[in-house]
Amino acid sequence: MRSQGVGQLGRWYSRIMFGVCVGFAALIIALLSLVIWYLLAIGAQSVDLAFFTQDQSGDPTAPGGMRHAIVGTLVLVGLASAVGVPMGMLAGIHMAEYSQETWLAKPARFIADVLAGVPSIVIGILGYELIVVPMGNFSGWAGAAALAFIMIPIVARTTEEMLLLVPNSYRAGSFALGATKAQTILRVVLPAASGSVVTGIMLALARVAGETAPLLFTALGSRFLTLDPNQPFPSLTVQIYTYATGPYEAERRLAWAGILVLISILFALNLTIRVVAARSARHLKSN
Amino acid sequence: MPRLLATNAVLTTLVAFASATATFADIKLNGAGASFPAPLYRFWVSEYQKAHPNVKIDYQSIGSGGGIKGITDKTIDFGATDAPLNKKEIEGLGGADKIIQFPLIIGGVVPAYNLPGVDKDLNFSGEVLAKIFLGEIATWNDPEIVALNPEAKLPASPITPAWRSDGSGTTYVFSSYLATQYSAFESTVGTGKQIRFPLGQGGKGNEGVAAIIKQTPGSIGYIEHNFATANRISYGAVRNAAGNFIKATPANMSVAGEASADSLKGDVLAANIWNQPGAEVYPISAFSYIILYKDLGNLASIEEAKALTAFFRWALSAGQDRAGSMDYAPLSAGVRSRVEASLDRLTFKGASLK
Amino acid sequence: MSQAASHPDRGPAIPPGSPTAARRAKTGLGDLALGIMARFGAASIIFMLTALLFVLFTAALPSVRQFGANFFISTQWRVNTLEKPAIGPDGRVLKEDGETVMTTIPPAFGALPTIYGTAVTSFIALVVAVPLSFGAAIFIVRVAPRWKIAGPISFLIELLAAIPSIAYGLWGLYVLAPFLRDWVAPTLQKVLGDIPAFRWMFFETITIAGRLQERPIAFTGRDMLCGGLILAIMILPIITAVARDVLRAVPRAQIEGSLALGATWWQSCWGMLRYARAGLFGAVVLGLARAAGETMAITMVIGNNNQIAASPFAPAQTMASLLASEFREAAGLHRAALLEVALVLLIMSLIFNVVARWLFVGGQSRSAAAH
Repeated sequence: MRSQGVGQLGRWYSRIMFGVCVGFAALIIALLSLVIWYLLAIGAQSVDLAFFTQDQSGDPTAPGGMRHAIVGTLVLVGLASAVGVPMGMLAGIHMAEYSQETWLAKPARFIADVLAGVPSIVIGILGYELIVVPMGNFSGWAGAAALAFIMIPIVARTTEEMLLLVPNSYRAGSFALGATKAQTILRVVLPAASGSVVTGIMLALARVAGETAPLLFTALGSRFLTLDPNQPFPSLTVQIYTYATGPYEAERRLAWAGILVLISILFALNLTIRVVAARSARHLKSN
Repeated sequence: MPRLLATNAVLTTLVAFASATATFADIKLNGAGASFPAPLYRFWVSEYQKAHPNVKIDYQSIGSGGGIKGITDKTIDFGATDAPLNKKEIEGLGGADKIIQFPLIIGGVVPAYNLPGVDKDLNFSGEVLAKIFLGEIATWNDPEIVALNPEAKLPASPITPAWRSDGSGTTYVFSSYLATQYSAFESTVGTGKQIRFPLGQGGKGNEGVAAIIKQTPGSIGYIEHNFATANRISYGAVRNAAGNFIKATPANMSVAGEASADSLKGDVLAANIWNQPGAEVYPISAFSYIILYKDLGNLASIEEAKALTAFFRWALSAGQDRAGSMDYAPLSAGVRSRVEASLDRLTFKGASLK
Repeated sequence: MSQAASHPDRGPAIPPGSPTAARRAKTGLGDLALGIMARFGAASIIFMLTALLFVLFTAALPSVRQFGANFFISTQWRVNTLEKPAIGPDGRVLKEDGETVMTTIPPAFGALPTIYGTAVTSFIALVVAVPLSFGAAIFIVRVAPRWKIAGPISFLIELLAAIPSIAYGLWGLYVLAPFLRDWVAPTLQKVLGDIPAFRWMFFETITIAGRLQERPIAFTGRDMLCGGLILAIMILPIITAVARDVLRAVPRAQIEGSLALGATWWQSCWGMLRYARAGLFGAVVLGLARAAGETMAITMVIGNNNQIAASPFAPAQTMASLLASEFREAAGLHRAALLEVALVLLIMSLIFNVVARWLFVGGQSRSAAAH
């Protein structure tokens, strides 16, 4: 560090850079507001009740609604988490609690971090090659599998981190009372961390609900409200993309409405998650 | 935690139940392919469903190449393409005796443009269009364009060509037509479903190109006629083989198809109907085809096979009458009877569907 | 980025050989079951990566075999075959029985244009996002706590990350692209257009009618600049969040010491940046990985022209946008080539993530040693 005698120039420079830092932070917030305000404003003009109650009609000048797409996303995320959450949690449990007993934990941790950064379109292509082609058609299963693939590393890492935050005294106390390792993990450690683990899971769900690319080659899309994952499956994100890149005015307006709904759901989810996370972190610290 | 897992278990059971029951009541068929007929096919299926509520047909617009790939991989029940199958693709499907390919509708490719300040319809010739897309004609007030449009006040702004970035039968039709009009076109960019133009912007599907044209002043692109009319994009007239400048309408496109009825033989029915002779013929017309396996064993049941065949028969008769109202060109009677004959030869695991 | 058994917050590890450790050894059926399932879970993660690499590689094999190393330096991406008139040894077109003899030029694929597109858009994104993110991170760590707004500001910036990719694509397509087309590009052209040193920005050289010609670039708004800017907005949250965490870990002694020696506010900040440079570099690499892998937003604003052009106002194609555009229809060699591009994209993102992790671990051990 420079010693005394910075001089007026140095101090002015420091003040300017201070302003720059404040300015940059403000600029980012301004950009955020600009993007969100625009999306919400245009979306608000196009949302009506029909959006939630109708499916896609065949007519591009009166396209109906996106009920089928909303239900589709909910089902896909639900199916994905049916596989993704247990698998991810098990992996997280292993990495946190069994890491000293096997050689699996270290590579698994490393690979989970690395997998979380893989572009989602590559995962979609994997889903196509592994599931769509052998199965013989585009399907909701393939889409859910691609989403689960994205979900597992995220859930695994967050579960591990949250479990590691639980103090060892919990475990020692449990053993002292005669519990087995499995009982300790399932009845003591996991419940202690449950708030934050659920937070991590919900964040993964929110992330996966907003994905488009992995569904393009797996679930494809459909104009019908369907609960059958053996067939091509609709989703909110793909439906928005399809409408948005088209030239039909009416369909584009629906795409904007879809964006509004999607962003609202994701924001609400994120807000609740963070509030819950802050509360449970305080709870854990106070112990 | 147990509650979370329990809810998951319930959800999965519900879905499994729903998927089991769904297949009993409804007939669900999937088709995909060309983006050109997509609005018409979706309109047709929703009309057909009004009369047959349990027949649910889904059509996804993913490009002609995607339709051919889908039916080859058997990931869909029927494929739609603007570019008829070539030899390699027919081999990939198992040979010409394993499939039927038939035209279902006629369309036309129009040169659509966005030229603010110019409200008259412009005239183009095939050669001028070829040169524009090759970059040899760079600005709107180029002498060759002015020569065809003496009364229009064309600006000096540069031309931005817009083309298909995905595998497209529309590209196939347009490039094949231009190859007949300008000799250098074939050897510079070639013909086919996906070609590299030297300059301009790519878009996905007719939808994507139409969007580029609408958003980029000074651009010109090739899209199907109904996309231009549905979205009120200006498009020009093209000079046909007889020397007349024709602006595409369903009537002058249907006429292009009539003459080819006699050349449709066998079950892989295909004919190039661009650049046809005739005073009122639109020169860039083309059939749009459906591809099916002759034996529909790739479908789940004979009911599905019968439903699919019935739908296509409806499309060939009642559907054609509705096509004109959506700016598509119906098939002439001669072509229709040829197609019907092919449909009669469809089977399901050996059993005839008649 | 956590460590193994002895985590600072969770207290001392259970010493081996102690009675507590011995208790752990008592196994029941439940223990066996959970142990196996947990092992299965962890193993499946390793399996997922292996499957990804294996499936992509086997599917890309035809292309790898056909093009070899040429794939990475070839600028050709031609899906259809070309019929060119054959040129005889005398340099003139060959004719046989009065008909021109045509040679068939088969499809050829090369990844260089998409690698270029990915590189340029990511570069633009980093140039814009890194200063903004670092500035905001410094603000959050050094200034905001005094004003009690550190939490809300962090939250708002992370909200940017919650916006789905297509939303950015739509915004870019309908707001940013027209803005660039109607205001930014013409203004830049007016100011810089006549300076020969900037000619590359406004003119492109293309092969037309067999000769190289220079053409003025028509501004469409859908180009590498628009793509780069959208990516910049999208990677702001991750770089800011990671930089903030890294800067927070700089020991207070470092900051206070420099201030005590008479450094200005900015000089102490600069000291922080230097101290944490490994972690900050890791943040940049993570941002780069995110930018390179982004698909939906960039496909909508990049122009989808698989070419190499110098100007940021020219359309291009990135690896991800190429896959989004062409994968659904590809077959045969074309599909294998696309899968090879996907493999390259995957390996690139793996390398970035590994480098970032290595930088973080290095940074952490450095700060641990300083204690």
